[in-house]
Amino acid sequence: MPPKVQRALILGLVILGILIAGFFGFRAVFALREFQRHEPPPLAEALTEQIVETDAELIRDWMTIPYISRTYQVHPKILFDALGISPMENEEKSLLQLNEEFFPEMPGIVIELVKAAVKASQLAPAGDVPGTPAAP
Amino acid sequence: MSDFLLTQIINYGAPILGIIVFIGAMGAPFPGTLIVIAVGAFAKQGLLAWHTTGLIALACVVLGDCLSYGMGFYARDTILHRFEKSDRWIKAEDTFNRWGGMAVVWTRFLITGIAVPVNLIAGSSGFSFRRFFLYDLLGEFIWIFGYGGLGYLFGAQWETVSNVLSNISGLTLGMVLLAIGVWLGVRRLKTIESNKTKVPGL
Repeated sequence: MPPKVQRALILGLVILGILIAGFFGFRAVFALREFQRHEPPPLAEALTEQIVETDAELIRDWMTIPYISRTYQVHPKILFDALGISPMENEEKSLLQLNEEFFPEMPGIVIELVKAAVKASQLAPAGDVPGTPAAP
Repeated sequence: MSDFLLTQIINYGAPILGIIVFIGAMGAPFPGTLIVIAVGAFAKQGLLAWHTTGLIALACVVLGDCLSYGMGFYARDTILHRFEKSDRWIKAEDTFNRWGGMAVVWTRFLITGIAVPVNLIAGSSGFSFRRFFLYDLLGEFIWIFGYGGLGYLFGAQWETVSNVLSNISGLTLGMVLLAIGVWLGVRRLKTIESNKTKVPGL
């Protein structure tokens, strides 16, 4: 390998290494801080299966209604009613897909409606079914 | 991409996970680590059975790795023809045969960004398949059950865990590149120095 190419290769590796390490190192510090802010669950609790989630802010766009229903122990009908759509052929769609299909003019509305329905059902006494259908 | 894949996993379970890690092992740029951690959290929710899901994922990812090793193996003749068994190539083969096992294990779960190139190099450099398979199995076992286990333990906080691990993986890759660059630089300086000292003696 000619000396010039060798020098360029070494310099390239060092610069690339510094850039990648710097970029990810910086992000890792922030991620670790974020990680420390969340208290890890106690080991006994962590090893127990099927814990019911209560924090509705953890609902994400990729989740489906049956998944949210299972995770938050909310009947799927409540969630579909809150969106005003039928469960038929919509059970495997993510919240993002539902939003794009039924509320194209209102980005982010589906996730907000679902969060609100989950919170309302957590507040409601057992047996009470909240949620009013919203027209798509 | 990761959102779409996560939706498919919660809809179709372990088989789709197997397909994702298999294609990922062949070189598709899928966020494998994020998915494995998420699957651990899904297992905790009872959505997936951790043992069967883990075993399916392990079998599929190892199969994908073996295929990319195979691609390197069958490209060996072309590579050898190109380098005509030069001293440098022989030296590189020896180095990989000595350190390749460690490279295979570490790139399965920590420096995952260079896992596929390592598979191809292993296949093309004559690294034995039996050794590759055992080291690969060990590394992927750590990846699937170790990272999946973290998802299981941390449950709803899996996104935070995934964020930390993917950044640490990137940091490690940067440090490895930097270390290789410094090592090559030091070697080059030593060669220049030794050439200088040889000249007066001629």
